[in-house]
Amino acid sequence: MPEEGRVSLKNCDVSSLAIDSLCKQAVGGNSAVACFYFDFAAQEEQSPATILGSVLKQVVGGLDEVPERIVQTFRDQKKVIGGQRLALSEIVEFLQDISSSRRTFICIDALDECPPGHRVRLLDSLSQILKNSRGARIFLTGRPHVQGEVEKHLAGRAATRSITPTKGDIIIFLRSVKSFSKDIFLIVGPSPRCTVFRTSASLKLQMP
Amino acid sequence: MSQHHINDNTNCFNINNVWNNCTVADEKSEILAWLSPLEPRIRHQDIRTRRVDGVGDWLLQTQEYKDWFGGIHGGKSDSSALFFCGGPGVGKTYMR
Repeated sequence: MPEEGRVSLKNCDVSSLAIDSLCKQAVGGNSAVACFYFDFAAQEEQSPATILGSVLKQVVGGLDEVPERIVQTFRDQKKVIGGQRLALSEIVEFLQDISSSRRTFICIDALDECPPGHRVRLLDSLSQILKNSRGARIFLTGRPHVQGEVEKHLAGRAATRSITPTKGDIIIFLRSVKSFSKDIFLIVGPSPRCTVFRTSASLKLQMP
Repeated sequence: MSQHHINDNTNCFNINNVWNNCTVADEKSEILAWLSPLEPRIRHQDIRTRRVDGVGDWLLQTQEYKDWFGGIHGGKSDSSALFFCGGPGVGKTYMR
C-alpha cells in the first residue's frame, strides 16, 4: 500500500509492471525473462559483466539443463586457484547462444543510474546480443538524458516511449491511498502539472 | 533367498540414482552462484509490492509495447529494444 504522497509511476514501477506481465505470458511457453534494477547506492558492483552475469544466471536458472559449454567453462575455471568469473565477452556469447533458440526478454531498469562508462559498454553488449540473436528482446527504462545514448548504441533497434501518468493513473492512485489529509495539493510533473483537490465529499482533478 | 538378493540390487540402484541427481542439482546451483552472486528478483519483489495495481497498465497497451513484444525479428517494424523514458519526478506526488 502506498504511503500518502508517494511516487505513483516511477521508472522502476514501469519496469516491474512489464516484468510481471512478461513472466505471466512466459509461463508454460518457451521463453525466459530476466531483470536487473540499477541501484545508485551499489554502483561499484554494477559493471556490465556483473549486470549481464546476473541476467545470464536468471536465464540459465530457467533452463532444464545448463548448456554444455557453460558447464565446461565452469569446470575448467575451477582448476584455477580461487576460480575465475566469466569475462563480459563470454557472457554476451552465452546469452546470444541461448536467446537464439529461445525468446529471451532482458529488462534493465534505470539506465541513468549506471555510470556513463559502464553504460556505453552495457549498451554495446546489448546491441551485440540483438544483432546476433533472433530471440532476444530488450526492455529499458531511464531518464530522458540517456535517450540519445540508447538510440545511438542500439543503432536503430530501439523504440522510445515517454512515460507520463495519465488522468486514469492518478485516479487509481488516489483511490488506493487510504488516509487523506483534508485537502490535497498534488503535483505530477515537472510536466504536465496537475492539481488535485480532495475534500471529504469529492475529488477534483485539474490537468492542463 | 534369491528374491532378497534382487531387492537389494534394486535398492542399490535407486540410491545410486538419487545420489546422481543430487550431484547434478548441486552442480547447477554451484554454476548459478558462480555466474552471479546478485539476486535482482528480490528487488523486483520489493518494488512490485509497493506498486499500485492498475497504475501504468496502459503502457502495456501502447503500440510501442505491442510492437516490441510481438515483433518479428528482421520484420518491417523491428524494434527489438524498447526504451521507456520518464523524467525525474514523473509521477512524483507532493501533498500538503
